[in-house]
Amino acid sequence: MPVLRASDGIRSIRVSGSPFLGLGLRLLVASIVALGLLSPGEAAPDPDHWSFQDLHTYTLPDNGEPNPIDAFVLKRLKSKGLTISKPAPPAVLLRRLSLDLTGLPPNPRDQARFQTGWAADPKQASADLIDRLLASPRYGERWAQHWLDAVRYADTHGFEVNTPRPNAWPYRDYVIRAFNEDLPYDRFIFEQLAGDTTGVDAATGFLVTAAALLPGQVGKDEESIRRARQDELNEILVNTATTFLGLTVHCARCHNHKFDSITQRDYYQLQAIFGGVHYGERPMRDEEKDRNSKLVALQGQIEQAENALLALGLRPPVNARHNIERFPATTIRYLRFTILDTNGAEPCIDELEAWSVPHNGGSPSNVALASEGTAASSSGDYHDPINHKLSHINDGNYGNSRSWIAKQLRNGWVELDFGKPILIDKVTWGRDHEEHYKDRLAIKYRIEGAKEPGQWTTITSSKDRLSSLDPAGLDAPRALAITHYQKLLRDRDRFSQKSLIFGGIFGQPPIAHLLHLGDPSQEREEVRPDTPAIFGSLGLSDKSSGPARRVALARWISSPQNPLTARVLVNRIWHAHFGVGLVDTPSDFGAMGGRPSHPKLLDWLADHFMENDWSIKKLHRLIVSSRIYQQASHPRQAPQAQDADNRLLWRFRPRRLEAEAIRDSILQITGSLDLSMGGPGFSFFKANTNYVRVYTPKENFGPAEWRRMIYAHRVRMEQDGVFGAFDRPDAGLICARRQQSTTPLQALNLFNSRFIQTQSTLFARRLEKDGGERLEKRIDLAYRLCFCRPAEPEEQGTARDFITEHGLAQFCRVLLNSNEFLFLP
Amino acid sequence: MINAYRAAMLNRRDFLGRAGSGLSGIALSQLLTSQGLLANTPRPPAIDPLRPNAAREPQFQGAAKRVIVIFCSGALSQLETFDYKPELIRRSGQPLPGAAAGFKSFQGENGNLAAPQFAFQPRGECGKMTSDLLPRIGALVDDFCFIHSMTSKTNTHGPGENFLSTGFTLDGFPSMGAWATYALGSESENLPSFVAIPDPRGVPQSSVNNWGPGFLPAVFQGTPFNQQRPIGNLQAPAGVTPATDRAARRYLQFLNERHQEAFAGDTELAARIASYELAARMQLSVPELTDLSSEPTSLRKLYGADSSDPVKSGFARNCMLSRKLIENGVRFVQLFNGAYAMGEGVGNWDGHRKLKQQYEIHGAILDQPVAALIQDLKSRGLFEDTLLALVTEFGRMPTFQKGASGRDHNPEGFTIFLTGAGVKAPFSYGATDEFGHRAVEDVVTMHDFHATLLHLLGLDHEALTFYHNGIERRLTDVHGKVLTGLLAT
Repeated sequence: MPVLRASDGIRSIRVSGSPFLGLGLRLLVASIVALGLLSPGEAAPDPDHWSFQDLHTYTLPDNGEPNPIDAFVLKRLKSKGLTISKPAPPAVLLRRLSLDLTGLPPNPRDQARFQTGWAADPKQASADLIDRLLASPRYGERWAQHWLDAVRYADTHGFEVNTPRPNAWPYRDYVIRAFNEDLPYDRFIFEQLAGDTTGVDAATGFLVTAAALLPGQVGKDEESIRRARQDELNEILVNTATTFLGLTVHCARCHNHKFDSITQRDYYQLQAIFGGVHYGERPMRDEEKDRNSKLVALQGQIEQAENALLALGLRPPVNARHNIERFPATTIRYLRFTILDTNGAEPCIDELEAWSVPHNGGSPSNVALASEGTAASSSGDYHDPINHKLSHINDGNYGNSRSWIAKQLRNGWVELDFGKPILIDKVTWGRDHEEHYKDRLAIKYRIEGAKEPGQWTTITSSKDRLSSLDPAGLDAPRALAITHYQKLLRDRDRFSQKSLIFGGIFGQPPIAHLLHLGDPSQEREEVRPDTPAIFGSLGLSDKSSGPARRVALARWISSPQNPLTARVLVNRIWHAHFGVGLVDTPSDFGAMGGRPSHPKLLDWLADHFMENDWSIKKLHRLIVSSRIYQQASHPRQAPQAQDADNRLLWRFRPRRLEAEAIRDSILQITGSLDLSMGGPGFSFFKANTNYVRVYTPKENFGPAEWRRMIYAHRVRMEQDGVFGAFDRPDAGLICARRQQSTTPLQALNLFNSRFIQTQSTLFARRLEKDGGERLEKRIDLAYRLCFCRPAEPEEQGTARDFITEHGLAQFCRVLLNSNEFLFLP
Repeated sequence: MINAYRAAMLNRRDFLGRAGSGLSGIALSQLLTSQGLLANTPRPPAIDPLRPNAAREPQFQGAAKRVIVIFCSGALSQLETFDYKPELIRRSGQPLPGAAAGFKSFQGENGNLAAPQFAFQPRGECGKMTSDLLPRIGALVDDFCFIHSMTSKTNTHGPGENFLSTGFTLDGFPSMGAWATYALGSESENLPSFVAIPDPRGVPQSSVNNWGPGFLPAVFQGTPFNQQRPIGNLQAPAGVTPATDRAARRYLQFLNERHQEAFAGDTELAARIASYELAARMQLSVPELTDLSSEPTSLRKLYGADSSDPVKSGFARNCMLSRKLIENGVRFVQLFNGAYAMGEGVGNWDGHRKLKQQYEIHGAILDQPVAALIQDLKSRGLFEDTLLALVTEFGRMPTFQKGASGRDHNPEGFTIFLTGAGVKAPFSYGATDEFGHRAVEDVVTMHDFHATLLHLLGLDHEALTFYHNGIERRLTDVHGKVLTGLLAT
């Protein structure tokens, strides 16, 4: 055991040293390393690393603080000779809580309500406010964003083509819902890893949030294919290990982790858990049953409506999905469907069904099925041995990939031999019952029957079908019947849209191997699916199913015995409230990550969190009720000199709002925010269908884009033309903490963009409408909306002068650019 | 306190502390570095949060003060340009020795060896063989340092562009320009320190990831604009008079300063005030810079900015813009030739099907403007301390693709060249095999190229780091060696 580990040396400086001392000691350590006294490779990772230890149980400091957070933090401050700042004024507290918990500023009504409550009982008023904010649906929209950053959620596939991933959003909505409903965190973890096993399909979007190469983009050579697959699996691993565990397991892909007790073998064991997960869409089963029963009912109604139309002498035109041919019952052995013309190309039928007239009141059955002994023949088949075969025409399966296509252009025939004469009165058929395809549809056809070979009689044909259904110019009963029928068809279209989720496709995992140097062409020994060895074993066999692997992993991660899970989560929440976590590297709790500034508090909070049913809302309440959170934010000279980074929490550190909070706040202040929730969302970019997508930011926004920014399509690597510059992560890599940069482009965008111009004008209109006739009142309202406080006399004077000369909209433009507006106070 | 955030922005007190007392530390580290003792010690730059773009000293004296990277997107064929292979001409039409019939590369099966589609001839005093595709660039060959043994680790455009621009095939890592400006800041008070100039036809495949900040602070990202698409939101909103705009700025200043009084010592607030000041200066300086009307007609002609082909004249104007940016103190310019909006080969160097016809179009666009840019830099005395690199994400196969008269992707050997500050010229470094297929002599990785580029700027690629997600990240990951063999002595 070396006396001094390189990582120890550097780490201890991080928590205690001044920068100068730090540099010196780092040089010393580095020199020792460089001189060969200790090579970094030999600096054995520490199996006793703090975050791998069980949670310690600490007794609360006995300093009379009712909130345990204050008890810990104040004790620490006192030991350093520092004090907490005075409480933030109520208006600041209100603004801070609203922006922090919901991402929106308080409106004047909230302000009045809070003020009245505060006058009566400050404690009660702030408790009520916190409850109200946590209960607001706006809370989930705000806090889901923090989570989506950490897992780099996006609505495009990334890489060069960066095409849309149109069914990613159910996962985004799931996360919003989970926060709003305060889904217990252990459940939240389980569902994201293995929700497919409990019917929560949307949750597994978590597994595949990363960018992925589409099949056509990977090279055709074996090496490219293997490498792309390894990259996919690596991304799943990155999500799982960093998000839940704060572990940089991915650093062990090519060699043992340099700093943490994670071996390359551990990496491939963990990877084997996800060996069956592929990037792709699947139907959401949670809704499927419901949808199917609705569809069956609708199909019945459509048949009735068609009968009603027939009775009025109207036969609807053919459709690609499902056509009904009714005729007087007839006994035949042979049935021939002759296509005379299509709407283009060789004709296609995915299923041809013939319905027997039941005996003794039974139900009709499809006698055309091959499984009933019926044989099919044709005029010739299109060559496609996989999707389009003659045997598909009566195999009982719907869909384009289970269909028959004739050999001839625009015509052809298919014949069924039932084996014996059967009494039938209905034939049904479709081009594609799933209606992904509408081409190759038979529009002119004839159906014939025969008892003996060759003795064909026409049973029905397309002759009596209308070419289109148009209620115009018809009498009322006919027009009504058509309208009703068309509505049913639309309903069928709507309900048959399968809800898809880009949530992974699951197959049986192959045998996994360790890859030498991470190189897919250098397979070494087999590995079993498991956790990193330092945490024990899941006891899975290499034959265990994919879901069983993920379930076992999810249970292990969400177990109260896991030393990392609760620590990492409470730290994430703390980080989002204060701007810096107790551990300042929220997705790295390893040796290269930060050490906790308040280790006892971190463990106490983690324990308390689990004791309280893993409730995130209870955790918020505890944190934001503390004196530490509610203190003022002004710098003070003495503590500033001692602890400029505020790690000891002697003030609440003000910080610039994130892109989403700025945009959402502007929209709310100007009165244009659309609060509708969920669904596919809206785009900041002009439409474009290039093979390689080109995303040109829209410059003009209308009400359709005035929803909260979390519902904006997240285009990987591309940013909205105005707010992208505000350190919005690009959804390339995971983002545990956003950068807080200040750039001239931010200034240009916020000062000059058309978005701001439009919103300034709308803001001015709102002030005119709601602020009354007197300018003083309008200025006051503007201050309340933007800063949550009245304008002071001096501010009134300057504002009045400016508005008189340059107008109200310019005044609004300036307020929306001010530091007071842009910072969490 | 040294933590994850330290590398992003020191706080003002730390900055002053380090800038003052840190000198001895820097001197010591230089000493140790020079003796090879400090190879792995992170030495991130000390950044003043109020002036993140301020010029910073390099880690040691470098030959180059600034960089222009001309990025030929789509994979410019080494065989049609600078890698002369007589054996390939002789054996044209024969199978590639050692390869199975129909061996596969990126797009599928390959056919036989195919001679270069353009004739080669000796150029310059050195007599280096280059092709007729780029005659004007070829005429400057005495100033060039070729690397013929470049390799990439991917054969896919998007990841390949990422690898070239960021050192990683995945999205989300900082670009080389971002690293350079993170280290060195800018010499200009009025301009962004890193400018990306997309091709007139649009953006490259990996688009903004080529000039993104990754996890570095956003202030170090490339600001994309060109003669066709200027910086967004640079002008006051329509209908706002200059007088009103100025008054609005003054009023904003009043509000911010009043607010700042209560937060004396909070650098983030102060930095935001400063950013509005730079924005105001850019509002004036950028339009002036992008206005080429004051450039002499003869110069416009030299660049080909008078061409009737709008793509060529557009690219020529972007080349002129590059020179003006460099002249005005911008640290890093990444100039793109080729875009991906129109699919393979149409707007870029991705010659899969009809390479000759496509390259005739693209060659005419690239040749004259780039040659003029180099000459212009020389005539202004900028050439000595500017490094110019002409690069591409990977090369092309010596064979034609089966059933086509174009070449598939080949990451195993291709050519780039460096010219200007700090490199040997005329010089050729490394070599491919007799068919120009695989690099076989002094094989160079992208990491080596990056290490060399940083070295020329006076930066140690192993010491220029930024802590992110568990790792002291570098442009060169954990690889890379400086190509000392091609450095001017």
